Amino acid sequence: MPIRKEVCSTGIEELDLKMSGGIPLGSTVLITGCSGSGKTTLCMQYLFHGAKKGERGVFFTITEPLFKLTKNLEGFAFYDKKLIESGMVNIIDLRIISERLGLEAEKYTVEDAGALIDILKDIADELDVKRLVMDSITALCYRLQTREMIRDFIFKLGTSLAVMNCTTLLTSEVPPQTFKFSQYEIEEFISDGIIFLGDLERKGDLIRTLQVIKMRGTSHSRSKFALNISSQRGIELIPLLKSTEFESLLKR
Amino acid sequence: MPDAIIEGIRERVAAAIRVNQSVGIQVPENRHEGLLEGIYHSMVSNERDIWTFVTVSKSFDYMAKTFKETDQYTNIKFIDCVSRAAGISTMHKNCSYIESPVMLEKLILEILTNFKGVKQDADKYVVIDSLSALMIYNDPGIIREFIALLMNRSRSENIHVISILVEEEMDSNKLIQLNDKIIILRDSFID
Repeated sequence: MPIRKEVCSTGIEELDLKMSGGIPLGSTVLITGCSGSGKTTLCMQYLFHGAKKGERGVFFTITEPLFKLTKNLEGFAFYDKKLIESGMVNIIDLRIISERLGLEAEKYTVEDAGALIDILKDIADELDVKRLVMDSITALCYRLQTREMIRDFIFKLGTSLAVMNCTTLLTSEVPPQTFKFSQYEIEEFISDGIIFLGDLERKGDLIRTLQVIKMRGTSHSRSKFALNISSQRGIELIPLLKSTEFESLLKR
Repeated sequence: MPDAIIEGIRERVAAAIRVNQSVGIQVPENRHEGLLEGIYHSMVSNERDIWTFVTVSKSFDYMAKTFKETDQYTNIKFIDCVSRAAGISTMHKNCSYIESPVMLEKLILEILTNFKGVKQDADKYVVIDSLSALMIYNDPGIIREFIALLMNRSRSENIHVISILVEEEMDSNKLIQLNDKIIILRDSFID
């Protein structure tokens, strides 16, 4: 009989089905896509779903202020303010932590970045989180001044995440209409999985898409799906009508 | 009131959809409105049946004015695919709006959502008005794929599909062949 690996359900039924039940426990997954592709919504749905099952989660933001993040969540059925109040979902602004650490907001040294990783690890351990989100790794790396520093930081982050007892989603921003998984082209190497959120132009309208590129430790679909962000239901997936893609390729 | 032909087609559609998963109705333009009237009559006459009416050929506002009391029936929901694309921003409680008729995947998701939580023993129907209007905005290949996906999902969820095709608006009648049963409404008789 095959050994069934333990998985972490994302809260998006169709996505879990594509990954044989969910993300393998303890994995680090890169959620990559351009602005407006649904990265933050996907991550929040994942955290609130876990919290409802009793799995504590933490969301580290570096791009959006907390009030704006929670305001944007209010219409979604998965959102439950009580889960934030009870500490099952923790939303932490990394910029505030940086300030408290006395780090310069716009530029980090190697030591600053290392200290930040240690703080993240301490918070995750102290809260005993099972689900961790960092939104976004691109914005964090932007504060590092050289490519070498970025590479060192990403590898150190990967090593720290690997020993944490939680399943992690790292968001990564890429320019629109590109099939690229990360800004610095190394983020994917510390990831066990990559979920690519793209968009497709059809007669002038943009259709959001989702594709699981890689997911170590589980069999998964590599088909492209149309992604809808319903103002109530959150993220929904359905097979993408392929004729569009063919037409889009012809145009290119 | 529907005339004798429309009364006839209403009975034919009602009988056909009971035994077939999907029924395609080909109709000449001058009979289109009468056919819709006949279908709407079927929708309101049995409140135990659950209906989703997808409007592509006309906006929901127009439908509401024509059929009146559209918000009285809790068993009928509308999906409007053209208002937003036409810059109409009105909202109605029993209608959901798709930003553009090219967002076909979103349309299927909305249809399936409308039937979520419906009692197991209820009969579920979706009316697409019309495939030919969808062809105005989309290429034939993608419409064929859309119908195939909709039919497959509908079968698995036990939803009956009625799709309308207006003769004058279409280049070919191949699309309708994807249905289990085809009814052709002529100007003065039913095939």
